[in-house]
Amino acid sequence: MIAVEDLVHVYPGGTRAVDGVSLRIEVGERVAIVGQNGSGKSTLVRHFNGLLRPTEGRVLVDGVDAATLRVAELAAKVGLAFQDPDRQIFSGKVRSEVAFGPRNMGVAKDQVGSRVDEALAAAGLSGDADANPYDLGYSRRKLLALASILAMRTPVVVLDEPTTGQDARGVARVEEIVAGLAELGRTVVAISHDMAFVAESFERVVVMREGRVILDGTPTEVFAESSWKELESTYLEPPLPARVGARMGLGATPTEASLVAALAGRAGATDRASGEAKT
Amino acid sequence: MLELKGVSYRYAGYAKSVLQDVDLTLADGEIVGLVGPNEAGKSTLCLVAAGLAPASIKGALTGTLTIDGEPMAGRKTHELASRVVVGFQNPNTQRSGIAATVFEEVALGPQNLGLDVPEIVERTRTAMALLRIEAIQLRDPARLSGGQAQLVAIAGLLAMRPRHVILDEPTAQLDPAGTRLVGDALRQLAAGGTSLLIAEHKTDLLDGVCSRIVAIDGGRIALDGPAGDVLADPRLVALGIQPPSRVRLKRAVDEAGVDARTAASAAAAMVAVA
Amino acid sequence: MGSIGAFVLGGYLGPLVIIALNLVGATIAGVAGRLVRVSVLLTLPIAISVVLVSVFTRAGTTVLFTIGPFDATAEGVDFAAQTLVRLLAISLSIGLFGMTTDPRAFVLDLERRRLSPRFAFVALATLEAVPAMVERAGVIQASQRARGLDTEGSLRARVRGVVPLAGPVILSSLTEVEERSLALEVRAFGRPGRRHLLWRNPDSAAQLIARSALLLLLIGSIVGKVTGTFPQTP
Repeated sequence: MIAVEDLVHVYPGGTRAVDGVSLRIEVGERVAIVGQNGSGKSTLVRHFNGLLRPTEGRVLVDGVDAATLRVAELAAKVGLAFQDPDRQIFSGKVRSEVAFGPRNMGVAKDQVGSRVDEALAAAGLSGDADANPYDLGYSRRKLLALASILAMRTPVVVLDEPTTGQDARGVARVEEIVAGLAELGRTVVAISHDMAFVAESFERVVVMREGRVILDGTPTEVFAESSWKELESTYLEPPLPARVGARMGLGATPTEASLVAALAGRAGATDRASGEAKT
Repeated sequence: MLELKGVSYRYAGYAKSVLQDVDLTLADGEIVGLVGPNEAGKSTLCLVAAGLAPASIKGALTGTLTIDGEPMAGRKTHELASRVVVGFQNPNTQRSGIAATVFEEVALGPQNLGLDVPEIVERTRTAMALLRIEAIQLRDPARLSGGQAQLVAIAGLLAMRPRHVILDEPTAQLDPAGTRLVGDALRQLAAGGTSLLIAEHKTDLLDGVCSRIVAIDGGRIALDGPAGDVLADPRLVALGIQPPSRVRLKRAVDEAGVDARTAASAAAAMVAVA
Repeated sequence: MGSIGAFVLGGYLGPLVIIALNLVGATIAGVAGRLVRVSVLLTLPIAISVVLVSVFTRAGTTVLFTIGPFDATAEGVDFAAQTLVRLLAISLSIGLFGMTTDPRAFVLDLERRRLSPRFAFVALATLEAVPAMVERAGVIQASQRARGLDTEGSLRARVRGVVPLAGPVILSSLTEVEERSLALEVRAFGRPGRRHLLWRNPDSAAQLIARSALLLLLIGSIVGKVTGTFPQTP
């Protein structure tokens, strides 16, 4: 779906934000991109919808070189939800804010309404449809920004730090949205600082440092003890279950569920062992 | 001691009160964590406790804010500075823009208090030493990482030698490295003797730093007690607050019905890796 | 001072002298090229409208050419040229000042001369606010483009894009100002009374002489204008 080939991006001031990245994201994949600020994560994903153009290398979206398409055209393929909802929300009504994207894309008038309702429902904002966005708190404004991208029904959805600043309910809602998109077969790319969210909701983790990819695999692989040195080199800490599992010699257990399963497995083994010893 | 008694607060132009009948005490040297879902009133509580609401942010306050026995009603904002200060989540807007170096940025507060130069320098040096930012004292404050900028902001507050420091979600806009930097600094601060009220979503950060946790929901105090108890309280989840990962994991292990011995070793491992 | 001088002095000679002085200063400071480019770019919009209006509507007797109902008079052209020269003198003066003065040092020095620190904040905040606003506007534009707002298309499309762009820019700028002033208040910024300054700017004799000379020149030209002792300059 998205192919990045030897991408280099140098900003006008000279900063080499992306320094040779190649990767492929397949249709329907759920990918999380992690790394410190300045590691190139945001720069990388802004090439997916053409907001940034490569200095060297190229980015293909659905087989087409992104550089040959206008941002408005790419927006129909790749929806990008920004981190700060207040740098996006402009309408006095939640409903029209969400309708903005589909309208720009030329969706038929009678269809816009149902898309808006669907997106608001997914974001848990159906009850706020006629409210003023600024009467909603930060959590809900962030979900509103997300909803406005969902309404565009793009095959690829990119989320820039969807859980930053969110409370527990907000995070849970974002997790549901990601799962919902995956069920619909959409491709989801998320930038996040929350390792637990990443481990639980994504099937692939790409770790970036100083413009390069230093780790790329499943959460099990990326948070396994063998990768810790790389993670530490960029001040990232694996989620608690991974650390506990490693400490107890249970192998790679990036999620709560995997740790619990491993513990149950060991408990079973101990029982069997003591059972055999008894007999 | 900082004391809020029967405090309700309604912002100017709004019909609803954001805080309802809040009682909260912050003893000298105490480190208290404030948790709650978004829109529960955490930020408003921080502003009221700092005296900025209603002194600077217009609204109607019922109840009292007392610091060391003196009521703060009617005080001007600059009179509050030596008693209570508040830090915010955006490291960029807390930067004054009129300081060429980090040193001058931290010195701004004491300078504004009209202190003489030796005193300003002394307070600035102490604050920077406590937060371990002496190494960047000559850097341009506008060219720091988010975490560093936040440390500079906090140092600037400490330099005024307030009795109480309130921090409203200091790591909300930081990356993991910045969060870790500020988290470590909070531990330093806790050992320093100033009392702290820290509002945060990241309960992992509060776990181990705070002696007491207060949970707020819908403008009312829902829980207030020793950190260990509150963070493990099952009601936290219902309130929309995510417990620390240690608590969540332990709960998941217990709920899975793993046998006691394995569960115990798991619990020990959790403590060991923290 | 160059700006006030340009205003005060009539005709062409005055402003041209000021322009020359500015360019000399700029060359010494090494910013001549940048200064000219920026000044011309900034003055261009006003200049165009001023020229158009003056040339065609200034009362005059010598008609040069006619477009529709409008007569372009020699007097109009003369007036337009004088105004242009003044505009350029003003923008060069301000531009040179902006490019060669470290705002923080300047403002601190003002405070040393008894100006309130609050003035310092307003002056510097304004200067700092511009790049921040430009950056914010960039992010906002990116957000809206990501939702299909076409900024590369037709004029009509771009006009429709003004509200989704202007709204968040203004709102977030206001929020930022509010946050900034609150943070300053927390640090006792509003406290009345002098503060002890940490350091003072070095001030050489040459700078002092240059400043005094400029000031005298300015006062001289104002007095001259007011009392009518200046000859009519071409």
